[in-house]
Amino acid sequence: MTENNEARIGVFVCHCGHNIAGTVDVKEVAEMASKLPGVVFSTDEMFMCSDAGQVLIREKIKELNLNRVVVASCSPRMHEPTFRRVVEEAGMNRYLFDQVNLREHVSWCHMREPELATEKAKDLVRMSVARAAKLENLPVKRVNVLPSTLVVGGGIAGLRATLDIAERGFDVILVEKNSELGGNVGNWTHLFPSNQSGVDVIVPLIKTIKKNKRVKILLDSKVSAFEGYIGNFNVTVKNLNTEKEEKFEVGTVVITTGFEPFEPKGYYGYGESPDILTLAELQKLPPSDTLLVPSTGKPVKKLVFIGCVGSREPGVKGHEHCSRHCCSATAKAAGDLRDRVDEALVLYQDIRTYGSGHEELHRLARKKHVIYSKFPKDNKPKVTVKKGKIKLTWFDVLAGENLEFEPDMVVLSTAMIPPDDVEETSHLFSLTRSGDGFFNPEHIKLAPLTTHTAGVMIAGAAQAAKNASESVIDASGAAAKAVGLMAQGEVEIESTVAHVLPDLCSSCHTCLTACPYGAITMDVEHDPPVAVVTEAKCHSCGTCAAACPSSAIVMYHSTDDQILTMVEAFLCPAPEAEGGGSA
Amino acid sequence: MTVAETVTKQKEWEPKIMAYCCNWCSYAGADLAGTSRIQYPTNARILRVNCTGRISPEFILAALEMGADGVLVSGCHPGDCHYTSGNLKARARWAMMETAIEQAGVDPRRVRLQWASASEAQIFADGVRTLTEQVRKLGPIAREWK
Repeated sequence: MTENNEARIGVFVCHCGHNIAGTVDVKEVAEMASKLPGVVFSTDEMFMCSDAGQVLIREKIKELNLNRVVVASCSPRMHEPTFRRVVEEAGMNRYLFDQVNLREHVSWCHMREPELATEKAKDLVRMSVARAAKLENLPVKRVNVLPSTLVVGGGIAGLRATLDIAERGFDVILVEKNSELGGNVGNWTHLFPSNQSGVDVIVPLIKTIKKNKRVKILLDSKVSAFEGYIGNFNVTVKNLNTEKEEKFEVGTVVITTGFEPFEPKGYYGYGESPDILTLAELQKLPPSDTLLVPSTGKPVKKLVFIGCVGSREPGVKGHEHCSRHCCSATAKAAGDLRDRVDEALVLYQDIRTYGSGHEELHRLARKKHVIYSKFPKDNKPKVTVKKGKIKLTWFDVLAGENLEFEPDMVVLSTAMIPPDDVEETSHLFSLTRSGDGFFNPEHIKLAPLTTHTAGVMIAGAAQAAKNASESVIDASGAAAKAVGLMAQGEVEIESTVAHVLPDLCSSCHTCLTACPYGAITMDVEHDPPVAVVTEAKCHSCGTCAAACPSSAIVMYHSTDDQILTMVEAFLCPAPEAEGGGSA
Repeated sequence: MTVAETVTKQKEWEPKIMAYCCNWCSYAGADLAGTSRIQYPTNARILRVNCTGRISPEFILAALEMGADGVLVSGCHPGDCHYTSGNLKARARWAMMETAIEQAGVDPRRVRLQWASASEAQIFADGVRTLTEQVRKLGPIAREWK
């Protein structure tokens, strides 16, 4: 943008129905914005992201020759891509758009203070308008996408994703840390709602994958290093036995690292008797027509399941979530085993058999006279083990009575928690995690399979507690995302990289040590040698720009000037911009 | 400005807080605070940067000089940075910056460095509340400049 090309800014304030307008006086905000320097148009609209809102932006850009657009609506983490596309369709560079977050950061968190919220909204719009005036055109860059995918984790989700991608004609490197494929599902004797064993489901999948020439399977292996950017990742895979490392180049990544069953130490006498086991351990017992008591080898007569073990515990970090699979898995197991025991009880906090065919399992278990007894969430059942005998006491909510029972076997339906190396994975691929410890998707509703690391997808229980069918749905979805990128062969990348101004560089090397990616080197051809950024390696964190003592580094789209002008607009607004009109 | 407005402004001083948040953790945490309808003081104005590593001490000093009563810097937990280590650089600069502002006559209680992940909406909101209340007790910044 040349200097004589003055900013002509359009400001669009969104009501978001009642979401913003219910708290913030959007008309007052738009009115204030209309008086700001550079603003040639300002309005408020019901839904800026709707077709009508988008058309309005495009029309006004053309009609008034706008060269900057500010939309004050929801979080840019949600709709920045939408509005960037809109301005681009009207011939404006996407980097000349700026978004103000009036919903997540104002109306929703200040619902009881409409006046102060409106003040805050005005400040934020004023800051954004000031920034907009300083925004600059940046080129839109495209890079090639290598036609191969790294799949991390060979459980049911990883296998499905691998097969989907390979069958569409792209190479897959499947990395599994264990010595065999199949993950948790492979261990299970009974899957709900079908009557198949895990092996029935997994083995054919593995066979088909092994026949596919496009798939390279690396067992006993882990990803040890990961760098690069969407379309062009460099992966190092280490064999855990030989410690040998192998390097690969891939275009996309699907993370299917799944879960591990929670080991409920300290819960319901777990560990005090071999006859108290988890549902996962029950599933791993050798197949037999009769269910045998582990300690005595005699047939089980009285069987008890306890639900929500390590799940749904408010205030306990990593255990607050519902593990989703356990109610249905318990109903299936209790219903199946009811025929082989005299009595089967399920002690539960709530029953959530939400999936297709799951409620039928619950109904079948009840029809077979599995006894369901509800306990209060703040008064959990107590298990005591004396001389090998298990005694269970609890309060039954519906009967309003204290009950007791002496089972031969107790099965704890434990939580799904992330695998113990989840932190390692999250650092390798720069993934953030949610409160339950699993990986965050890019957006929970709009982009549940992609992550904030462009080119890296997540599927299955890597994202949250899920059952096998849901994991497979995810896996096919994530595979489609990866294939979509690779089939196009090219993808747009952000142009917001660091740039060294050679004339200002004092060759001090500070930025070289600040950069986490080794993206800055010294250009020895230059006399004197100056720092230079390899743009493809730059992830645009801006650490170098903040570290440079000579202010020789410009962070495109996040320049010092663009940042400080916002600070100034907030704290030292020009009098006419205060909202009261010119004096 | 009308007389009535001037009077109101003098009567109800509200701390002005400049908040620098990284895009990946704290800005997202603030988004989640909104989505979860967690209510917190309106005083902070959030400015989004990619990483706390982008925040030069100059940005904090400039905000104080321009009249911010407090400055909040909020990023990913150490070890959880989207860019591996930008937040560690921010933390290292922080120690130096705190000394600098103290020497300039600014109470270091006016600045706050905190870690709040994308899922820690409550921690983010609590941080804004803590700093706002702290600054409210200290009064407007103009009093302190030496």
